[in-house]
Amino acid sequence: MKKDEILSAFQEVIEGPRNVYLDEWVKAGGKVMGYYCSYIPEEIFTAAGFLPYRIRGAGSEDSSDGDAYMSARVCTFVRHTISLALRGEFDFLKKVKLPFYSMLSVPRAPKERLFTWYLDELKRLKAEIEAHFGLAITEEKLEGAITLHNATRERIRSLYDMRKKGAPPITGEEALTITIAAHLMPRDQFNTLMDDLLADLTKAEGARGYRARVIITGSELDNPEYIAGIEQQGALSVAEVVCFGQRSFGESIESGVDDPLNRIARHKFFQVPCARMVECFDDQVAALKDTVREFNADGIIFQRMKFCDPWAGDGHNLYWRMKKEGIPFLGLEREYQVPASGQVKTRVQAFLEQMGK
Amino acid sequence: MAILGKERQEDWEVVYEGATGLIDLYQEDPESKGMNAIVGGFRVLMDGMFAAMDEGRPVVWHNCGCSPELIRGLEGVQTVPIELLTVLQNLVGEVDYTIALIDEAEAHGVAPEVCSIDKAAVGTVLNDLYPEPACMLYHNTPCDSQIAAIKSLTELTKKPMRLMDVPYLSGDREVQYLAKQLREAIPFLEEHTGRKFSWDRFHEVCEESNRTAKYLRDWNELRRHIPCPQVSKLVALNTALLVAFSGDPEGTAIAKAFHDEARERIERGESTIEGGELYRAVWYQDPVWFDLQFYDWMESELKLVIPMDLFGYYAPEALIDTSTPESMLEGLARKDLRVLPMSRQFKGPIDYYIDDYLRMCTDYKVDFAIFAGHVACKHGLGGIGLFREASREADIPLLYFEFDMFDPRVTPVETIQDDITHYIEDVVRPRKEAA
Repeated sequence: MKKDEILSAFQEVIEGPRNVYLDEWVKAGGKVMGYYCSYIPEEIFTAAGFLPYRIRGAGSEDSSDGDAYMSARVCTFVRHTISLALRGEFDFLKKVKLPFYSMLSVPRAPKERLFTWYLDELKRLKAEIEAHFGLAITEEKLEGAITLHNATRERIRSLYDMRKKGAPPITGEEALTITIAAHLMPRDQFNTLMDDLLADLTKAEGARGYRARVIITGSELDNPEYIAGIEQQGALSVAEVVCFGQRSFGESIESGVDDPLNRIARHKFFQVPCARMVECFDDQVAALKDTVREFNADGIIFQRMKFCDPWAGDGHNLYWRMKKEGIPFLGLEREYQVPASGQVKTRVQAFLEQMGK
Repeated sequence: MAILGKERQEDWEVVYEGATGLIDLYQEDPESKGMNAIVGGFRVLMDGMFAAMDEGRPVVWHNCGCSPELIRGLEGVQTVPIELLTVLQNLVGEVDYTIALIDEAEAHGVAPEVCSIDKAAVGTVLNDLYPEPACMLYHNTPCDSQIAAIKSLTELTKKPMRLMDVPYLSGDREVQYLAKQLREAIPFLEEHTGRKFSWDRFHEVCEESNRTAKYLRDWNELRRHIPCPQVSKLVALNTALLVAFSGDPEGTAIAKAFHDEARERIERGESTIEGGELYRAVWYQDPVWFDLQFYDWMESELKLVIPMDLFGYYAPEALIDTSTPESMLEGLARKDLRVLPMSRQFKGPIDYYIDDYLRMCTDYKVDFAIFAGHVACKHGLGGIGLFREASREADIPLLYFEFDMFDPRVTPVETIQDDITHYIEDVVRPRKEAA
């Protein structure tokens, strides 16, 4: 398959709550485990024989059902996902006798002193799944899941490496489409499509007409259209440091050195922290600066979902830190499902001009 | 009293004089024992803070999810809750000063939808209105807005900060986890304050905390009396008491005043409402801090009393076992997890949140409930649908409105008054009459 066909397949995957790969999986009797948040390790679900499926609100026309349950003061991402759930759009998650529910208490600081708690939480989750579904998540299965998810990580890393070039063969809109799709379909099928895509991209001519290279960071973002609006102004997104983007992947998990669950836990817990984490802002800034340098970016566009409090704190802090560092920084607020508006486009244009681009 | 040093700044002058004015005005009033005690307690706290600055004693900031007993285990260390100035401004009726701090934080880039008390805390720090901390000890409760605030305050001050991770559930495993963190925080506090932690002192502090808790527990019982013996606004002030005074003899004095006033008035057969109460309601979510006289209006105009609210409710798991260092740490962890208002209800599953509400409605024999939705409180508002369902099932009429507890510009007090008046006229009174 060629780049356009593969991107079109990924585009179909991300358009709504269901996709053809998911439907095939379910039709073949496969079970699906829905989850929120980058601190939930997909490997456990894969090892248990589930398709890990990251919940999002795509395909929700309006959030009225969620609004009624949660008030309009809760972020629109959550309200849209609740709306979809209330409308039965996630019923494929209930194709089991007794639906499973668990909540992971992830510590709010990625510190060694709190790691054991996180690891214990994963052990508890694993045990709950085993007990609920009457199955065994063996070390061997976990090792297999690590291998599968590492294969995805490697492909995403290769994709991102290509974006470091002066003329990246892929836009930010396309890259985010790919990384979102990675959360919604069987990973082996994703990896196969990625092999074809990467092969094609190595031959592809890159984008040259852009005015500036930017990193997009901030709160949850699973709407490539929003990036398209930014890129239409001449800014090329070269890395999306968001939950559905680079943040969910990172380096590969080491294989075979000790207990696989321990390795999975370390990988997740000590990933580049998101705004929910405290006592680590210097690490977040350092990682962001590294990304700016590696991807040769001209500036940072920070987008935050309205009513997202953790990113409200980081938005304030990043603005001042980047100002001090001399890294151009644009802060935007957005609502879920709303593409970049005229106002956003104007602000991006002004940002590019401010950078002298 | 002359105020010394940096605290001469207008914001502190205003609250100090305001507190002094209230004490002068009401100290002889036997009906104001509880209010006098808390205002007086805050003046003592300000004196302590000013003295610490003058004497060069170390100061530790903490947030409202963090009960201060552990910090008090260090000799000579002054605790400062980051919400202190805002609470004082509103307590003495100087809300314009809070508004200025909120505006300043927003102008500095803090998002408008962050909680107003957290924005005001950032504004306070931007204005250099708190004594410089040796370090900061924060809990990740009660909400994400506090996370935004503590991250911003850490960035602004560049002072050492330690986070106590409070997990979502509140069982024994969680108690052990938090207790371990509290133990590990001791060397952090010692290092940055230069003061030694004393287990004997901590024992005394926990004993004091228990004395306060016993009064509050009994006071909660006394507030069940019909008619309600005391003014509604006292329950709104309980969280301020816990955050600022836990482990401090002043806290016990305030709790005792709350308790004694209620008991004495019950013994005298007095109702807080002249002519007798007509309606009783549980007030869930946040008090109208920006206008505490609003409660007087409810009582006099509507004959409506609030015997209990979310902030006044004192869960009975509060007593700390002081027999060993380990039991004290566990007791304090239990208090942080299961007792502090908001921290108890706003984390993890919604069960505590709704169960406490239903229990309050039953225990305090109310005619209806008021869900006063502080706009920034996504943790509370996020559960409104389930909350409504629970109210319907329990046949409790529920009034819901949104406002900002420290910023009258969002919903003016007159609008809140209209909402409550109409709800009583349209729903509560006909229902009572029909019964």
